[in-house]
Amino acid sequence: MTNQETLRVLDPTFVPAVASPAMADRPRDLNGKTVGLLANDKLNAPELLDAIHEVLTDSYALAPAHRVNKGNASNPADPDLLDKIAGDVDVVITANGD
Amino acid sequence: MRLTSDVVEMNDAFEAIESFYDRGWSDGLPVVPPTAEAVDRFLQAGGLAPGQVLGTEPVKGGVATAEKVAINSIMAGCRPEYMPAIAAAVEAITADEFNLHAITASTMGASILVLISGPAVEELGVNSGISAFGPGHRANATIGRALRLIVINLFGSRSGEIDKATLGHPGKYTWCFGESSDRSPWAPIHADMGLPADGSAVTLFSALSGIQVGEHAANTPEGILDSFVNAFWATAPGMSEVLIVLCPEHVAFFKDAGWPKSRVGEYLYEVTKRPASQWSNPTPRSHKAAGDALAGALESPESAIVTVAGADGGGWSAVIPTWSNGHRSKVVTRPITSKQ
Repeated sequence: MTNQETLRVLDPTFVPAVASPAMADRPRDLNGKTVGLLANDKLNAPELLDAIHEVLTDSYALAPAHRVNKGNASNPADPDLLDKIAGDVDVVITANGD
Repeated sequence: MRLTSDVVEMNDAFEAIESFYDRGWSDGLPVVPPTAEAVDRFLQAGGLAPGQVLGTEPVKGGVATAEKVAINSIMAGCRPEYMPAIAAAVEAITADEFNLHAITASTMGASILVLISGPAVEELGVNSGISAFGPGHRANATIGRALRLIVINLFGSRSGEIDKATLGHPGKYTWCFGESSDRSPWAPIHADMGLPADGSAVTLFSALSGIQVGEHAANTPEGILDSFVNAFWATAPGMSEVLIVLCPEHVAFFKDAGWPKSRVGEYLYEVTKRPASQWSNPTPRSHKAAGDALAGALESPESAIVTVAGADGGGWSAVIPTWSNGHRSKVVTRPITSKQ
């Protein structure tokens, strides 16, 4: 086969050039910690998060839960809201309760 | 032109088609193998430089350069002269208010509907007449498909990955049609959106499946719009944006009666009201009324976005709801401009 018979086609994709985001440090145990429960505004999201919190209380002496609803399932949470939550809690659990 | 996309060598077009399937670069249909020579022609037709950014998807950060948009448009089967319309559509779907990531990820399964208006409809051969939503017309079939391939290949909206639609609908393969300026008694849709009436534009909708409305006996605007009420039952109360496509047979009665376009929304706003408890498909966000309080399909008279398309024969119009009932994805219009 000659070069003229080779079909040279182009890659149609975009690959984002982003580094893998680093994970935040995890606490070694949750005793005495404040757990944030970040709901996404879907029906049942708060119920799902409360159930998870209840399971955790079987194993850890948690501080009272800090409940937040980002109020919009279809957009990322407001960065200011995330900054505020980060100052109020030790760890956060988020869930889609659809 | 200096292109930056990786080159893949194939023995022939059939191998390229199969390889694109294997790599997840297709919508499930065969693609036209995109060569550098074809990309040059498309970029020249659009007056675009390869690295020119036509849009960036706001959530995931996918970048649509003119080169990549041209490659996907070639794959879809487009002609080079469609590039200005496709570039305008890419700009529209990447606007913040269109909320592209959400509509392509959502279980609600919206399509990306391209409505072309103005002289470009005739210049590009976009069908606005018989079977306006159907097959058989290259511009309609391939411009809509190019947008789908772009969201797959540039923004990662593959089925089962970002795309989590429960059912979706066939308009997700392609959905593009023209506004019939010949049959419409009104200014073009892009004039309603604030653009000069004598230009051309694309208007993008996060469209759910359309509901066809048949009315073959009524001969007044009121009688025709009364037949829309049942179609609205399948939607939700308080929609903030919904597309109404009036067919020529229907719109002729609006012309004869001297109705301005705005009166369509005013009438539908009133006639779709019913006790809130009777709506079968309420959502917490839009269903603020309760019990016997009246709730209409439209949030306001302006919520009805009206256009004209279809065959002269047959009284079939359509109601096309939009994702999130129009609350979290807004209709976006952009002018079609040739950079040449």
